[in-house]
Amino acid sequence: MTTAVALRPGQRARRRRETAAAYTLLGPSFIGVGVFLVVPVFMVLVLSFMDWDLISPPRWVGPDHYADLLTSAKMWNSLLVTGRFVLMAIPTSIVLGLLLAIALNRGLPGSRLLRVLYVLPWVCAPLALGVVWRWLFDPSQGAVNVLFGRRIEWMSNPDLALPAVAFVSVWSSLGYISLFFLAGLQQIPASVHEAAKLDGAGPVRMLWSVTLPLLRPTTFFVTVTSVISSFQVFDLVYGLTGSAAGYPSGTTDVIAARIYQEAFVSLKLGPASAMAVILFAVLVVITVVQQRYFTPRITYDMS
Amino acid sequence: MTTPDATPAPPVPPAAVVARATSPANRHPVRRSRAVATLLTYLMLLAGAALMLTPFIFSVMTALKTPRQFNITPPLTLPDPATFENFTTLFSAQYQFWVPIAVTAQVVLVMVVGQLFSSVLAAYAFATLEFPGRDLLFWVYLSTLMIPAVVTIIPLYVMVTEAGMKNTFWGMVVPLMFGSPYAIFLLRENFRSVPSEVLDAARLDGAGTLRRLWYVIVPMNKPILATLTLITVVSHWNNFMWPSIIAPAKEWRVITVATAALQSQYSGNWTLVMAATTIALAPLIVLFLAFQDQITRSIGVTGLK
Repeated sequence: MTTAVALRPGQRARRRRETAAAYTLLGPSFIGVGVFLVVPVFMVLVLSFMDWDLISPPRWVGPDHYADLLTSAKMWNSLLVTGRFVLMAIPTSIVLGLLLAIALNRGLPGSRLLRVLYVLPWVCAPLALGVVWRWLFDPSQGAVNVLFGRRIEWMSNPDLALPAVAFVSVWSSLGYISLFFLAGLQQIPASVHEAAKLDGAGPVRMLWSVTLPLLRPTTFFVTVTSVISSFQVFDLVYGLTGSAAGYPSGTTDVIAARIYQEAFVSLKLGPASAMAVILFAVLVVITVVQQRYFTPRITYDMS
Repeated sequence: MTTPDATPAPPVPPAAVVARATSPANRHPVRRSRAVATLLTYLMLLAGAALMLTPFIFSVMTALKTPRQFNITPPLTLPDPATFENFTTLFSAQYQFWVPIAVTAQVVLVMVVGQLFSSVLAAYAFATLEFPGRDLLFWVYLSTLMIPAVVTIIPLYVMVTEAGMKNTFWGMVVPLMFGSPYAIFLLRENFRSVPSEVLDAARLDGAGTLRRLWYVIVPMNKPILATLTLITVVSHWNNFMWPSIIAPAKEWRVITVATAALQSQYSGNWTLVMAATTIALAPLIVLFLAFQDQITRSIGVTGLK
């Protein structure tokens, strides 16, 4: 930085020009990031203290919505459903994604084609994938039951609906997650594995004591991003269950679906905003906790 | 397309390999168990790949059947004869499925232009210019990466509705077209790798701020710009939540919203619904297959989002 040095007049003029240019260049993004991202965060906070349906004038109610949410069975149900979904989907997709990456990393012929097939669902609209799986799970005309040879009410049985949603979520994110592990695996120098082999490590020992610790930064990144996106899962659930929120009997009523229902179907913007604020807080806490837990454990020098 | 890992073995194997292959050590249990492991890995990979692919195949198969065929034959039989009846129905005057396709294409186009324009300019300022407040501002931009869409969607709905722009094209695109913190961050990281000597030389040659961007930065960063374009196309073609609340009216429905509406209105009419999902999915599948290398690599680098 040259700020300590006295500037010559020419330099000062240039700096002024550069500042003006910079703020002009940032202009459009002030709209995108400032007006449509930062301002809404403050707006949602304000809205969460109000009663408003966009028709009658808004009314200030203070922290009432938060107090109500604390005792709201629906809110707790949604948090529980979302938590259950995350616990079913994330560990499964991370373990399978890692195994898939290890298998693809062996360089077997055709690995590249296989990788493309596994990633395919990720570029597809989750809403459309949800609709496709809704048909596949259809009790009488769906392909899944034909393959199983028996009639199972996948999406209308309260015990099966959420696991089915989690299954489709794992199905669609597996290849995507494996790409990160593949990138991580390719960064591990071959010499590390050779050294471990010379020390007599078998394949399981190698995975557990060498590969996994070295993949910790990748695992951290994948876990954090998947947990954050799973807490917001909506399109896939909507496609699978339709507009009847939480069908059957609230067992698929993830928190984003609840916010959507409350805000845009019931037009209760106040309570919906309070839920959104709570979701935001939960996500911030999760990010911070995961950061705290993983950061001391990812300091491996791979060189 | 040829896969590099499928290259055939050299015609004349080195002596050591021949010796190893013919020696009795080949029947050593460790070696045999490794072959078995490879075979098992392969089988699992193929089974998994089949599981990835079959939903798409089944849905296209169903889309090619008439409702009658679908009702009298098991769901897994091939369409015989294959018919485009469902597609012609969707494109008839009753369903007008060309409308959502046209709307989605326009949304994607405006998003690509708007996102690239705003994000490139902002990233360029952050990466190469020095100005008071830069670090603080960049920190603010970075921290907005953490804001989930579900949180901003209510205020955005209020803004657009109060502006009288609900169920309009611009009401749907304006809040999302002026750059995203993610794109700005991604581009800034790449723009910073342009050596400052190159930029200084251009400056000495009399190139102004915009000229340096257009003639130095942009040509040197074509791959990341292509990646960002692909990411924008994918995420906006697939977007559902925001369009479904702000533009549910028939004339401004995007493809995902139209598919969801069709599914809830004609549930049980699976051949028609599967034709709709085929239309919603096919363009991106084609795009993905055409740019698979670019896309898979960009996921590894950026976490396509």
